[in-house]
Amino acid sequence: MSRPKEMTRAVIVGHKSILKETIDSLHDTNLFHVEDFVEDESGFKISKPLKNAEEVSKKLVKIRSIANYLGIVKKEPVVQKTDSVLRDLDSKLNELDRAIATKTESIAQLENELKDLDSQKRELLPYLSINLDFDDYRGYESLKVFAGMVKGNLDGSQISSITKAYELYFDPQSKTTVLFVAKSDADKVYELLQGLGFRELRVPERGGVPSELLRFIEQKEAEVTRKIESLRNEIESLKTKYADFILASDEILTIESQKAELPLRIATSANAFIIEGWTPTEDYDKVVSAVNSATNGKAYVTSLEVEEEEEEHVPVEYNNSKIAAPMQQIMDLYSRPKYTELDPSSVILITFPLMYGLILGDIGYALILGAIALAVKKAMKSDAVGALMNILIYCQISTFIFGIIYGEFLGFSLASLHTEHGSVPGLIPGWETIVLFEGLGGEEFTFPIHRTHMVMTMIAVTVLIGLLQLNLGFLLGFANISRHHGMKHAVLEKGSWLVIELGVLLAAIGYLNGTGLAYVGAVILVLGIVMLTMGEGIKGPIELPSLMGNALSYARIIAVGLSSIYIASTVNDIAFEMIWADHSKIGFVAIAAILVFILGHALNTVLSIIAPGLHALRLQYVEFFGKFYEGGGRKYNPFGYIRKYTEE
Amino acid sequence: MVGEELVGGPFLDADGMKALGAALAITVTGLASAWAEKEIGTAAIGAMAENEGLFGKGLILTVIPETIVIFGLVVALLINSA
Repeated sequence: MSRPKEMTRAVIVGHKSILKETIDSLHDTNLFHVEDFVEDESGFKISKPLKNAEEVSKKLVKIRSIANYLGIVKKEPVVQKTDSVLRDLDSKLNELDRAIATKTESIAQLENELKDLDSQKRELLPYLSINLDFDDYRGYESLKVFAGMVKGNLDGSQISSITKAYELYFDPQSKTTVLFVAKSDADKVYELLQGLGFRELRVPERGGVPSELLRFIEQKEAEVTRKIESLRNEIESLKTKYADFILASDEILTIESQKAELPLRIATSANAFIIEGWTPTEDYDKVVSAVNSATNGKAYVTSLEVEEEEEEHVPVEYNNSKIAAPMQQIMDLYSRPKYTELDPSSVILITFPLMYGLILGDIGYALILGAIALAVKKAMKSDAVGALMNILIYCQISTFIFGIIYGEFLGFSLASLHTEHGSVPGLIPGWETIVLFEGLGGEEFTFPIHRTHMVMTMIAVTVLIGLLQLNLGFLLGFANISRHHGMKHAVLEKGSWLVIELGVLLAAIGYLNGTGLAYVGAVILVLGIVMLTMGEGIKGPIELPSLMGNALSYARIIAVGLSSIYIASTVNDIAFEMIWADHSKIGFVAIAAILVFILGHALNTVLSIIAPGLHALRLQYVEFFGKFYEGGGRKYNPFGYIRKYTEE
Repeated sequence: MVGEELVGGPFLDADGMKALGAALAITVTGLASAWAEKEIGTAAIGAMAENEGLFGKGLILTVIPETIVIFGLVVALLINSA
């Protein structure tokens, strides 16, 4: 059980001439959480950004847009020296910018050309079947040319009724029509054509035979496409060449712009500045010495007293061992603890994998998922993924242990099973089920536990486990409250629940045995309810039934677990029935059976992360945390940057 | 035997009734959970679109009604094992 790191409130005061050095030293230590200054009556004002801010942010925008354009992704860092990157920054940035600009411009030009060629091609296509030089369409004084499409069929007989002087080209497939007639007959012919649904086509302006023109255009298209392709390749090679530079300079510029913009968050007068903020108490001396050495002791650093009302708003930094640290992800998903609260990370380090293991409890799935988690952790170097995989590994260790207790492997029973209808041998010969004691409803409590055959007992067991965790929650709440509001509040608000449970327990035992203990229990129960009402007001007794709901909610441990077993054993049944049904020859059916087996278990493996994970998580968040945890703490976010691609 | 005559004919026998009861327990509670989760889930996605940090809270709120179908499953198991 840990508390968040103890924090110290610190104030740094100095002359404006040393502001830059102070900011640099704070940024480098990466330990100081700067508190934003809010302008008030004091006469201090928010300052302006440092002089280089505008330039830096301009460059940052440029480099990010380039990175975005090139599609640069974060990768295995190649660490570079800051000064060497800075030295080349301007020239390289300009070079890169120019190179990309010219290349994108030419690409845009070529793409336009391509579009142009395409439209030319479109214009040309209808004339392809006629194959008449386009120059023949123009330059007549007494001839009229109709070029277009008709809906129906057109032949010479229709036109010859109007005039004999004509020349018709018609392609019955594409319905393209080219008709030469004397100008004097043009109007009548046009009427006829309109009757056939004539639609005029543009005649391409250039001369030449369509088929040759088409070949020419297609050649040109191929050429332009090739050019675009090579430009794209050049851009791609720019990407590989400059990726390290872009990542490094992005980092440097980000750092610079963070530094340059800090004055917007602090208080300044005409000549002085004040930076207020938080640092972990253990690191306070480091901050002081860093600031002093950077400013030759000209800045004044001091710590301030934290008043009790303020404690709620202190930024929170976890204080966990390396083993419990991954659980912080689960905490953050819900809400960071307040500074005044206990941090339950180390408790859920036990309870979360415990619940997960209780639900899944299968050696096979534990091995599969454990291997997957290890592989993913190895392949992805990201911190967040690593933490999640660590949680998954913790869960699989617990699943493995419960897998042995349940004697299950991929839905198969490892130990023999004795029922009224006889006994079924398990997967491991010689592993006999041992009856330990009598369970509920005529069931026997055995080792290994056959969950499918002792449902009643397991429901009772899981609810009991739930009650244990709920009471742990009450105890933690008790510790929290007694620390901040005194013992009396703690006893009334959280202790009363324990009294109520004791009362119910005694009353139940008394009722079952028919002794006077029932009355004692009832009195204690009433006493507990009175205490609860005193502690939490009318809201307390209203919440009483929720205790039963919460405890019963833990029955999901067995319910979700059974659903997983049923899916697994159904897959096994189907696969093995397929194999046994046709054992004369091993062929298609056997392969299909193996496929069913693999796919079925793959599906169940995925479900085995989601269902037990979500339900185990919910038991922590809703049932367990509801008893003591508030959350809503502010994240400790130190002013600084964790360098990956550069070093000083 | 009177009992056997009563449950014979067009009616289900005791085992059938049990199976039907278990099925009903799962179906109705499953529908109820789905309905509740649908309403919460859409609201949660809406909230997450505004602020991605709400994923954790959204997830918790969405799985809360899951209890209904779990209780249904427990009841079905009890019916079957009784």
